Amino acid sequence: MAQDWQPDFERLVDEHQAMVFSMALRMTGDRGLAEEIAQDTFLEFDKSLRTIKNAEHACWWLRRVTMSRATDALRRRRVRGMDLWVALNEQDGVTAEEKSSPLGARLEYLLTTLPEAQRAALILRYQEDMMPEEIAAMQDAPVATVKSNLQRGLKLLRAKATSQLKEFIRGA
Amino acid sequence: MAPEEMDEFERELRQALERRPAPPGLKRKLMAQRSANAARGVWWTRLVRAGHTRGWATATAALLLLAMAGGGVRWELDKRQEQRRGEAAREQVMTALRITGHALNEVQTRLAEHDRQAGEGER
Repeated sequence: MAQDWQPDFERLVDEHQAMVFSMALRMTGDRGLAEEIAQDTFLEFDKSLRTIKNAEHACWWLRRVTMSRATDALRRRRVRGMDLWVALNEQDGVTAEEKSSPLGARLEYLLTTLPEAQRAALILRYQEDMMPEEIAAMQDAPVATVKSNLQRGLKLLRAKATSQLKEFIRGA
Repeated sequence: MAPEEMDEFERELRQALERRPAPPGLKRKLMAQRSANAARGVWWTRLVRAGHTRGWATATAALLLLAMAGGGVRWELDKRQEQRRGEAAREQVMTALRITGHALNEVQTRLAEHDRQAGEGER
């Protein structure tokens, strides 16, 4: 079955570019850097295409490598002492069509202020709809750690949202 | 935190984290970069791909290096042998020239002697 699968790089880029870019963007909070990460990830994917067994494996591989590249990029930025977070909304060239609701946009921004492990867990859970067990398998981490990151991340995000976005929460 | 409140918050978060479209130029840049990489034809990348595994690639690279080193040694030996042959040939030519020079001197001396004796006879 796996031998029947013929990877078509261009089609796979079409299919997964939004996923890869969105994950990188939400991990780094920087569109330029996210685009670079997406390019590097796909070029690496192209090199590894022979080892990809099927469509699910391709998606899994891309998620894993994108997260790893984004984490590396963040680490490099920290080493250089650069300001980590660039606002995800207006200041960063996001078009009006890309914006979700005002509350959504604020939530997205607040997400970028969470610790890296919690942010990664929330992105994989709520953007990619992955179950904690799948996230754990992908990150080579215990399920309990992933669940803890999800709970803590949600709690922290909620606390930040409650204190900073009162008007939106009330209106929701 | 009430569960229904949590659900609503999670729903809002899920909505906020919908995938964003990739920048319009991303695929174009990516394909251009890919073509450039392919055109550059990095030979070792091809070697790695052709070999399927790193082990094969390493073995191939090692064999190539060995062949190159062997070729270099052989070339050096051939060069030295050629040099030695050249020197021997030069030595032979020099010896032949010396012998010829000596013979010519001998002939010249005899001719001079013959001329001298003939002159004395005429007197």
